[in-house]
Amino acid sequence: MRLGSPIFLGYLPIGAAFGILATTAGFSVAQAVACSALVLAGAGQFIAVNLLGAGAGLATVVIATTVVNLRYVLFSATLSPYLRDMPLRRQLPLAFTLTDETFGVNVTDLRAGTADARSMLGVGVVSWLGWTLGTAIGAGAASSVGDPTRWGVEFAMPAMFVALLVAQITSRRYVVAAVVAAILTAACSFFLPGAWPVIVGAMGAASVAAVVNR
Amino acid sequence: MSASLVWGVVIGMTVVNICFRLVPIAAMSRLSLPKPLERWLSYVPACVMASIVVMEVLRPGGRWLAPLQNPYLLAAIPTAVVYRTTRSFLGATLAGVAAFLAFRYLLG
Repeated sequence: MRLGSPIFLGYLPIGAAFGILATTAGFSVAQAVACSALVLAGAGQFIAVNLLGAGAGLATVVIATTVVNLRYVLFSATLSPYLRDMPLRRQLPLAFTLTDETFGVNVTDLRAGTADARSMLGVGVVSWLGWTLGTAIGAGAASSVGDPTRWGVEFAMPAMFVALLVAQITSRRYVVAAVVAAILTAACSFFLPGAWPVIVGAMGAASVAAVVNR
Repeated sequence: MSASLVWGVVIGMTVVNICFRLVPIAAMSRLSLPKPLERWLSYVPACVMASIVVMEVLRPGGRWLAPLQNPYLLAAIPTAVVYRTTRSFLGATLAGVAAFLAFRYLLG
């Protein structure tokens, strides 16, 4: 619970922003909340609402969000060696609540040896609650919720990622890998759209690091 | 937009996301992975976080900002320092938001 609390704080306002955007675009409150509760994919959900608002069809929206969410395959594969002794019924809720943030927190704790099935489930459940509750608040009170950006909430998730990056840098080889990833991602962002710079930059840098540190 | 289209999108995204998130964990955790692949995967978290930080901090909202005019970048520094000294994600997040508000105010 404690580990998930910063994610909860970050998700609540962004979930509310999604709720406002989705209901403004034509989702019912139930559809907006169901979308967050079932999909739990920040960027993918925002893109889906934008595309639907622009008149896109079912296949276009699902394919576009599939591409954006490809990074979950990478996260899931990275967690797999740590979850060897876990039965499928316990893996399922962890997989269902796998996001950029829960991945970062859980992989940091797994490496530090402080994570177990209960703590990882807690992180997932608290994060899911923050995202779903935020969406319900935003969708239910779209017109009466003020502008959340005046509280600086747009920096909550970036701040979390900065802390997660520092947590990952446990030796010089990870510093080098992170610097290569940053440069590659920045370069890719000039010609690749959406989440592709993150996917290509991170996979490329991990490959370089794995070869150099053989 | 029609209600059935929205529900179709919600269900389609749900199915795709569960597959993406569960299949690698469920399948690969039952295999013995080759050493090079395990080594590659060990670098993924640091690389992914660095990549996300670049996108969120250097070009917030998809727009590059000059370093000294960028409250995201300036606030990232105290955030990193607070995490490094306290090892608290919540403390670092709250300190980061406070620093962000201060820098945004100072930069106008």
